[in-house]
Amino acid sequence: MAPNALSDRLRDIVGPDAILTTPSDLLVYECDGYTIEKNKPDVVVFPTTTEQIVRIVEVCNDLKVPFLPRGAGTSLAGGCLPVGGGVVLALTRMKRILEVSTRDRYAVVEPGVVNLWLTRHLQPLGYHFAPDPSSQGACTIGGNVATNSGGPHTLKYGVTVNHVLGLELVLPDGRVVQTGGPAEDNPGYDLTGVIVGSEGTLGIVTKVWVRLTRNPDAYRTLLAVFETVDDATNTISDLIGAGIVPAALEMLDRLILQAVEEAFHFGFPLDAGAVLIMEVDGLEAGLDADAQRIAAMARKNRAREVRQARSEAERLLLWKCRKQAFGAVGRLAPSYCTQDGVVPRTQLPHMLRQIQRIGEKYRLRIANVFHAGDGNIHPILLFDERDPEQVQRVLQASHDILDECLRCGGSVTGEHGIGVEKINFMPRLFSPEDLATMARLRSAFNPDNRCSPAKMLPTAGACIEPTKAGRRAAL
Amino acid sequence: MDVPTCTIDDFGPIPLLAVGSAAELGDIVRQAATQGEAVYPLGGRTFLHLGRPPTRSGRAVDLRRLNQIIDYPARDMTVTVQAGMSVAALQQLLASERQRLPVDVPCAAQATLGGALAVNASGPRRLGFGTFRDYVIGITVVNDQGHEAKAGGRVVKNVAGYDLCKLHIGALGTLGIITQVTFKVRPLPEQQALVLVGCGTATLPTLLDQLHASRSRPIAVDVLNAPAARLVLGSEPSLPWLVVVGFEDHAEVVRWQVDRLGQELACCPEYHPEVIDGPAGTAVWKGLVDFVARPEPVMTFKANLLPHAVAAFCRETNDLLEQPLIQAHAGSGIVIGHVVGDLTLERAGPMLTMLRTAATGAGGNLIVVRCPPSWKASLPVWGAPRGDGWLMRQVKKALDPHHVFNPGRFLDGI
Repeated sequence: MAPNALSDRLRDIVGPDAILTTPSDLLVYECDGYTIEKNKPDVVVFPTTTEQIVRIVEVCNDLKVPFLPRGAGTSLAGGCLPVGGGVVLALTRMKRILEVSTRDRYAVVEPGVVNLWLTRHLQPLGYHFAPDPSSQGACTIGGNVATNSGGPHTLKYGVTVNHVLGLELVLPDGRVVQTGGPAEDNPGYDLTGVIVGSEGTLGIVTKVWVRLTRNPDAYRTLLAVFETVDDATNTISDLIGAGIVPAALEMLDRLILQAVEEAFHFGFPLDAGAVLIMEVDGLEAGLDADAQRIAAMARKNRAREVRQARSEAERLLLWKCRKQAFGAVGRLAPSYCTQDGVVPRTQLPHMLRQIQRIGEKYRLRIANVFHAGDGNIHPILLFDERDPEQVQRVLQASHDILDECLRCGGSVTGEHGIGVEKINFMPRLFSPEDLATMARLRSAFNPDNRCSPAKMLPTAGACIEPTKAGRRAAL
Repeated sequence: MDVPTCTIDDFGPIPLLAVGSAAELGDIVRQAATQGEAVYPLGGRTFLHLGRPPTRSGRAVDLRRLNQIIDYPARDMTVTVQAGMSVAALQQLLASERQRLPVDVPCAAQATLGGALAVNASGPRRLGFGTFRDYVIGITVVNDQGHEAKAGGRVVKNVAGYDLCKLHIGALGTLGIITQVTFKVRPLPEQQALVLVGCGTATLPTLLDQLHASRSRPIAVDVLNAPAARLVLGSEPSLPWLVVVGFEDHAEVVRWQVDRLGQELACCPEYHPEVIDGPAGTAVWKGLVDFVARPEPVMTFKANLLPHAVAAFCRETNDLLEQPLIQAHAGSGIVIGHVVGDLTLERAGPMLTMLRTAATGAGGNLIVVRCPPSWKASLPVWGAPRGDGWLMRQVKKALDPHHVFNPGRFLDGI
């Protein structure tokens, strides 16, 4: 293939303003928020229609070039890393909200619509799109579909798949298909359900039918301050054990509080061992009783203080602190690396103790800020990437943490995805038979494995041995 | 000794084997696959009438002995059980910890979890709590090669690997036989209440719009026509339509919602809302959940529509000469119709064509849930063909290329 045959043909499809080919332009697209591994694509295109995507995919197939979709690039496991180069289809210019029906509680959006735009668009109508990842100001709905994104409020409302009714997809062979749709219970297989979370390996999503959720009438947002992490995690375990499921239940430990306080000046106590942000929402009736029950549970576990956000402004500031906590970590160390393990919720006290032990073993500072109610931990390992010996310790510590999650009966990823980062863990989570079944499913959509190759499922001889850790984007 | 047999939709006799373990099931599947025979999974047989008749000889497997509790860490709000366990047995287990799986399954005492998943059973509570796809976090199936293959896990949040759980729910056992499942569960609500609202045909659309916009947050909005209401309530309704609005939550929240709804509906004297709770309420809930499995009908259909179109579709159905029994889960756009009494195939065909046209026009489809097996060859059992049918066939071909599981029973070519 002549090197510019590909770019010339793609330029014909999308036009000269929607294609990048020079090395400096391509640099941005060599990784996502997972920066340990990088690889530049050969070409980046910015299609604006499904028809363009079909033609791009046809060219890629014709020239036997791998291709993959990309949203805002906020993913954290290398899901949009162009392994082996090829064409990146950046979908950020497909950003129209095509239809909103509050009576039938759905909206149709293009994949490049930013999560928060949709919720803002729906705000005056009294509805929202429930998944609210911390990156919601930047991440796209298409990206949410690819990774089955969560967020703090998924504890009550569910993850992305619970809010996606249908998809339009360009299959890796260029055919276009619509799965599901605005009405529930369409006859046949729930293809939508399996495409969500498939990390771009089953095709390129070009349209999404999302379910709309009514906004709560009211909130109560509590901040409980604990002397120790143990007391905080025991509170979480007790709450869930008592059948109390708040709308959100987040934990921040001392290290992260210091960074967040320095950045946002919320008034967090800097000497606290950990705090919990606990939110209940819904109808006004009953919220005070719910908040009191939660506060009582925190006090039973020796919370030294439980305070309630006094205004909507204070509530929003509290959530801003939580959602931008990762951004504040830069104040603690030159580099950091976060993990995304999940454990049964009763195992949280044990797991957090183990993280501390692992931190001591490898002489690393580890900060914790995570979706406690789901058992989804996000330990942040702090280091300096200029020191290769530290990098090795970070990688070993990360490995030990995920190992412990598996020992507890959990998973290595709750919301970030397998991508390329955790591909080596797949044989630990699943048997060869499980993985073979998944590979068979992929072959039904992506038989040549040209769409997002080397993602999610390990293939013989494709083991990736990361040797250096890098700085991560915000969760 | 005679081998036990069964029939499915008059097809048979099919040798019937009761399996006691996934390994035993695997052996049966492998043997069948080698011999080019089919395997027909059976649970409590409460919904065996769904789908077309089998097309190939084979063996049926009774899975009800796979009924063990594998793990119930109640404080984690998850449970792992074998799929042959009855839905009622699971609910009883969960109730001992004041928890439940908030998915309505008709005939729960007989229905197995595997069967309920295979047909994607649901009921009135789906408006407030969703369906099985919102609760299954892990699944194990015996695949076409007789091996156990799992997906998901036992934690409530997990994005490792393809979510094959979704694919098996509602697949009618055509992609593998479900042997084990992990659910996330919910606390039992402190209080339940139902508000019964009557209305005339002209007011039904307005009432449903009003309920949609209500400040209260019902977890169920079911519509019954008068003949259906008579069966569910056991008394004669005074108006052509009865709308049943369900609330479940803490006592204070339920009380507020019932009061609020009463105020909102006070504008129209016709509605005459009546609140029922306690044992009377429980009986009505059960009637609503079991309605889809009522024994009387000659033919049962299920339409899925955009919710705004439910009132018009109900009216159209109610106006049929046969006046079917109608139940609609109005907030979810699901309408179930039972045709009772004299019905011929000659009449059933055009009736379904008309209703299906209305359903597809309202963004959905219409399937035949039950009818005399001999009619199935000439009726659109699985509704109007969909644009993604070919991709479903491709998925089937990838996961069960030799059509070992339930051949002929699901969508065309699957």
